[in-house]
Amino acid sequence: MSRWPWLLGLALCGTTAAIAQPRIDLEATAAWNGWTRPSRVTEVDIRLSSDIATRATLDVAGGRQVVRVNLDLEPGRVVRLQVPIESAEGVAVSAVSPAAPPQRRDVRIAQSESPVLGLGLVTGDPVQLDGFHTVALDADNLPRNALAYSSIDALILDESTLGALDQRQLRALLVHAAECGRIVLLNADLPVRRVLDGSAGCGGRALMHATSLADAIDMLKSSLAANRVVSTALPGIGELASPDLVTWNRVLIVVAAYFAAAILAALFFSSLPVLLLAPALATVAILALLHAAPPSSQLVVWSEATSGAESARYQAWQRFPGLARGGMRVPVLQQLASARSCDPNQPMRFDFDAGHGQAAFAEFDTRLFRQVVLCYSGSFPVARALAIEARPDGMLQVRNSGSIGWPGGVLLAGGLVHELQALGPGDDMIVDTRSGKPFRDALMRTALARTRKDGAAALWELELGGITDIPPQSNAWLLVSIPPS
Amino acid sequence: MSEAPAYRLDAMTGLALAAAIAVWWLGSTRLALDHGSDASRCADEALQALLLVRVTALAMVSVRVGALRGWRPGLAAGMGLIAPSWPVVVLAWSAGTRSATYVALAEVLLLAASVALPLVGLALHRLLQKKDLAVISGTLLGLAFAASAWAARGLWLMPSA
Repeated sequence: MSRWPWLLGLALCGTTAAIAQPRIDLEATAAWNGWTRPSRVTEVDIRLSSDIATRATLDVAGGRQVVRVNLDLEPGRVVRLQVPIESAEGVAVSAVSPAAPPQRRDVRIAQSESPVLGLGLVTGDPVQLDGFHTVALDADNLPRNALAYSSIDALILDESTLGALDQRQLRALLVHAAECGRIVLLNADLPVRRVLDGSAGCGGRALMHATSLADAIDMLKSSLAANRVVSTALPGIGELASPDLVTWNRVLIVVAAYFAAAILAALFFSSLPVLLLAPALATVAILALLHAAPPSSQLVVWSEATSGAESARYQAWQRFPGLARGGMRVPVLQQLASARSCDPNQPMRFDFDAGHGQAAFAEFDTRLFRQVVLCYSGSFPVARALAIEARPDGMLQVRNSGSIGWPGGVLLAGGLVHELQALGPGDDMIVDTRSGKPFRDALMRTALARTRKDGAAALWELELGGITDIPPQSNAWLLVSIPPS
Repeated sequence: MSEAPAYRLDAMTGLALAAAIAVWWLGSTRLALDHGSDASRCADEALQALLLVRVTALAMVSVRVGALRGWRPGLAAGMGLIAPSWPVVVLAWSAGTRSATYVALAEVLLLAASVALPLVGLALHRLLQKKDLAVISGTLLGLAFAASAWAARGLWLMPSA
């Protein structure tokens, strides 16, 4: 008689346990209507929900890169996140929860060999551009990560599509405009035009405004024919950063010290155990040394803007020299955007912070002398304006035409490098064009290579005070180009 | 020659071999770093060279010393040739792509060979009864081992991890 309540209780517990198993719903779609180009970055839009509160780990695997996100799922709340991922024919999205069967979705991504034209028109009008593959888009197909804009080569957006973009999409579009992305806006509102014009890079040459679709196509065609965008690719780290030889020097010293000690041991000790013990102990010491003090990373930031522009685009490289063989987990610099591996063949795992919508840590395998590089890119506000006037006596009058002063730097004009004084707003200086120096170092070579022969540019070293966890070996430069008058 | 100077000579030979390969490896690594290329290839080649050179030296010395002076001096000679390279092996493995298991296995096989080869020399001595003949036979046998190790070097290339 007294057993019945127990049995009933047990049965209820069993039922509760069966009910408590969460059911996870997972949906994943690719940006740009599933189109990208080989070796570019795209974005996967993921929606995840559970009927009960549970923890879940989401893995997004594309190419040799995996993005991992740890999530707390609440019942009835759909978690939506957009993860940038290397272009691959298939991206596998999987969700694992402690008490639920794993879920997996395969997202097919088409890779176009031809340049891609994104077409965001509510009217659905067809557009054909010679040599381009056109992809029709609605507002939701546009990415939230600026990095995913590398999947397309040109974009036409009408006012309605532009108006339907959310804040993150607009921010990504602004960054794309700052990075000289080729965009034609059709009948855009004046406030939107102003914001985009203000942030457009390359002197605004890549951002066009049209009043009709035919007009937009003509503008795009003439922009492509004139190739009016000066350059979209920033220089590589090899040109700006000297090779890291700290590790090599350390190993050289260790090897030299070992051989010196071993020769002394062989000269002064005749006992076999000592002769065996010396290399054995040295091996253990070297193994310990390799794991003891990993060298710090090196950060190089290169940024460019046009004189008077409101934003500068930047590319940053963070190089991690390897010492011990094995896995390395490093924090991603949060003030820099769009972190990714510079080498698409380098397997890497990113821990994605869903709250901030960006990677927080990167994990990769390393070894002695291996240098793994993380790439960042984005834009930042800038206020540097220069006016240069050539005088009849061959001198240049350089004036700070902006509203704030600038520190000392260098001026690149006529293939030579000149000293640029710190100038307050409205101040000017005279530069003797014959007194320039043909600098030979990599920094000046890079700056000169990126300055138009008939134009000029100013180069400043930047302070990286705003970046937390900044590596001790860090350098940043800003190149402001002055178009020929 | 007494045993102690013999140990020293073998240890010095082992050190010289290890130093030569270390210099070559660090030099080629420096060039690779300067050119921004992959330094792991140099490390893999250094690891292979260390193995090949020590196998050859071991084959030539251990059988001969075993035949001439017995097993213990033969073992000491082999150890003196093998051991000084261990720190360089560890560094080259850290910089290369070879699996730790295969590198450890190669070292164990080298140690096993340094134990076994003097026994071959000793057996020759006992078989032939004449010291001079045993030394010549041991040297020739060691040369044959070394030549076969060189000829078959492609067969025991260590796989990458």
